[in-house]
Amino acid sequence: MQNHDATKTLDVKGLKCPMPIVKAKKELDAMAPGETLAVLATDRGSVLDFQGWAKTNKTARLVEQQTVTSDDGREVYVHVIERQG
Amino acid sequence: MFELSPAELKARLDRQEAIALLDVRNAEEFEAWRIESKHDFPVAHVAYFDFIEDPEAAIAALPFSQEQEVVVVCAKGGSSEFVANLMNEAGYNALNMTGGMQAWGDLYEVREVVPSSARLTLLQFNRVGKGCLSYLIASGKEAIVVDPGRHVAQYVEEAKRRGLSIAHVVDTHVHADHVSGAPELVELTGAPYHLHEGDASFGKLNVASGEGQIRLGELVVDVLQEHTPGHTPGSTSLVVDGRFFISGDTLFVKSVGRPDLGGHAVEWAHDLYRTLSEKIRRLSDDTTVLPGHFASLDEIREDGVVAGVLGEIRKSNPALAIEDAGAFVAFIQENMRPQPELYGEIRRVNLGLVSACEDQRTALEIGKNECAASKALA
Repeated sequence: MQNHDATKTLDVKGLKCPMPIVKAKKELDAMAPGETLAVLATDRGSVLDFQGWAKTNKTARLVEQQTVTSDDGREVYVHVIERQG
Repeated sequence: MFELSPAELKARLDRQEAIALLDVRNAEEFEAWRIESKHDFPVAHVAYFDFIEDPEAAIAALPFSQEQEVVVVCAKGGSSEFVANLMNEAGYNALNMTGGMQAWGDLYEVREVVPSSARLTLLQFNRVGKGCLSYLIASGKEAIVVDPGRHVAQYVEEAKRRGLSIAHVVDTHVHADHVSGAPELVELTGAPYHLHEGDASFGKLNVASGEGQIRLGELVVDVLQEHTPGHTPGSTSLVVDGRFFISGDTLFVKSVGRPDLGGHAVEWAHDLYRTLSEKIRRLSDDTTVLPGHFASLDEIREDGVVAGVLGEIRKSNPALAIEDAGAFVAFIQENMRPQPELYGEIRRVNLGLVSACEDQRTALEIGKNECAASKALA
């Protein structure tokens, strides 16, 4: 599942809203501008939520989103975010 | 924790209590599907991630007074709990609706269409958040369940409470908007499953041979005899006691079932026109129509039952006023909108072509039904 070259990976599989974004914000706040964070989530709702969150905040830019299937057959939603200056 | 269930919220909205709603899902979900009530009440939308990004600013921007009781809603109940807690810490009067829109979509209300007697029991199960209707018809000790939703225990329990056994399970057609509870109910009760060959032939289902009528105590119920194609090739309607017309997705109170879900819009629209102009025309004006869905809340009667008298529907339903097939097909084409992307998958599940676990079934069903041939969502 390493098909993204993020600076850091955050695994929030199994967590429900609002935790994926709560944790992603915490990580992102500690990162330097230009660094990227790959968030691995299993909540389908996270796809639109990460889009909405990135739209309304100045420090996160959504670079890409993709859906992959993990080894145990679960759908995993990968959100790659770049820390802005 | 300050919280309330979807059923409690529904009851408080029905009583027109002075409560407000704060929906904290993302904007797309809020636009597509939200909690509605027949009576106006204040609704605001602020996404939960705004409260994560800058809690003070989000709280300060709330359009409510601190005295106002506010019910907070999200997709599954987690984010709304987070926001309700923040609001209460800031001095607001917030309640979390448990389970979110997923639980709202699973809320059912059961009503007697007419006062029950030994001769006839006719119950309408209203899945209020989705606008899906199912029915239990009984005479003597035997019952038919029509278009059961996925939550089948309620039909079994209602029948048990009334001393009835479920003797037949009917789907009026293959549903595209919700996962049918019929296969599970059939397995639980051993009752035969009735679905018209016109739909069943697309799938792998164990369907009973289609006799036209079912004898039920003192009643005769026309089941597969009333073939009313259009919404799907195998759409049927039920005539109960000669006066109730359980119309599936053929005829709704204010609209008709969209014939474009199977990719043959023009052909099926012609079928639907024939059904409406020939079969439905023969029914008398005082027939009570009991549909498979409602799209807007003004289709609900004062007593909470979704029903219409055919004579009235003939006057007010625009689709029934059209006098020729070409104009009808044009009307359908003008009122078409894209079908939700999951509808194809729901249909495959209901045809027994693919299986889906409980979580997948839940995810497939999110949202309000979009089975009516009308442009407006609600």
